[in-house]
Amino acid sequence: MEHQIAEIGPLQLAFGLVFILISGLASFAYSLKLEKDLLIGTVRTFVQLFIMGYILRFVFDLSHMAVVIGVFSFMIFFAAWTIYGRVKDKQIPFFMPVFLSMIFSYFLVSYLVTAVVVNVKPWWEPRYFIPLGGMVIGNSMNAIAISLERLIGELKSRRSEIEMKLCLGATSREASQPILRNAMQAGMIPSINSMMAVGMVFIPGMMTGQILAGSDPLTAIKYQIVVMVMLSGSTALGTLLTVLLVRKRCFNACDQLVLRPD
Amino acid sequence: MNNVAILRFENVRFTYPDGHPLFDKLCFELNQGGFYGVRGPSGSGKSTLLRLMNRLENPCVGEIFFNEKPFSAIPTPELRRQILYIQQTPVVTDGSVKDNLVLPFSFKNNRTLPVPDDDQLKKMLKDFSLEQIPLDRAARNLSVGQQQRLCLIRGLLLAPSVILLDEPTSALDHESSRIVEGMAETLCHDMKKTIVMVSHREFNPKHVKPVIIDVREGGLSVLP
Repeated sequence: MEHQIAEIGPLQLAFGLVFILISGLASFAYSLKLEKDLLIGTVRTFVQLFIMGYILRFVFDLSHMAVVIGVFSFMIFFAAWTIYGRVKDKQIPFFMPVFLSMIFSYFLVSYLVTAVVVNVKPWWEPRYFIPLGGMVIGNSMNAIAISLERLIGELKSRRSEIEMKLCLGATSREASQPILRNAMQAGMIPSINSMMAVGMVFIPGMMTGQILAGSDPLTAIKYQIVVMVMLSGSTALGTLLTVLLVRKRCFNACDQLVLRPD
Repeated sequence: MNNVAILRFENVRFTYPDGHPLFDKLCFELNQGGFYGVRGPSGSGKSTLLRLMNRLENPCVGEIFFNEKPFSAIPTPELRRQILYIQQTPVVTDGSVKDNLVLPFSFKNNRTLPVPDDDQLKKMLKDFSLEQIPLDRAARNLSVGQQQRLCLIRGLLLAPSVILLDEPTSALDHESSRIVEGMAETLCHDMKKTIVMVSHREFNPKHVKPVIIDVREGGLSVLP
């Protein structure tokens, strides 16, 4: 089943801007005031993806382990930075715990997928490692942001319940256990839900890409299955490590909640 | 009350995390078995004073002693079990009255303590005029006054020697307030507990003579 993917020329790409024009007109007609964001978003989409395309081509051509690891680490750093920006309450310095949890869990999951499941040699082969790892980061990054937001939010709003337990001799871990559970659930539920809906409600992006590129749909679905299970694994591991490390920082050695109410 | 200091503040300074100073050079002691009423304008630091006493807050400078042992030398959960802090607004968890009462015994640090049986729990409820409440009633369905007493019983099951009451009557009507105040008096007089109670209400107990701690402008005075 050989098939050459249709190339998109510069003019055709420019024609794509018609879709942006439609959004812009809608925004203008109903005073949604989204024109500026739309413009910035469009420019960033073009610029970021072109840069990514050139970097990926460069990395693929270079095919060097240190470069692959470097690019992957940078992607994780950027994801951690995005989470840092999304979570509003910054009383607790949570950047490093988030970054370290992500580095550990994403490298582990991506390594297992390329080395064991897909069985690529070498395991860091950029054509496999970077896109698969990138999907891990992109998807479970949201999970980490959601669980972190929930953890910090509930630790603040349920302060009196936590202190009630502390006053009765609980350790900070015991006093915050139900909140930790809620935070983990909130982070993990979306990836479990998407395992329920995949193939019924939506055709995932990666499968679409593979089919467009000429793959047999049955090869594409196998990759997709690997991706789905890998995402639920990385989500669970990433959120667990993050909430454990960040919770630790919300209490001090005297079992006091150092996170202050607003 | 005897003249043995159960709690002693030595040169304590406390500053809020935002840098706003509250107490400085605080030196005083509370005697075992005493009944202390804490007074002072709102915002003067009455709650913080109580929170320092059971280590929900740490002094920036100075040391607090429990039975002449510095707080820093006592494991925090053990200290808090000895010096019980009852919050202003009662906090109960999901579940029954019994679930709430035995909650403290599920914590690691309390595992060595004997878990009270149903008869003991019922007796405690009766002592606090809650005999009409069955143990399987959902705790959240109790009135605020009943929840306040439930919280107090829950803490007393850990056999504390000092009880800190942070405006326990602020959310209660007159009748419930009387019950709580009467209980505080009984705990001091009959069960020899040291009581520290923040209250805005006029309270004239018959069996104990309260010592007033007046908190204002970053300091406090003990008025015998």
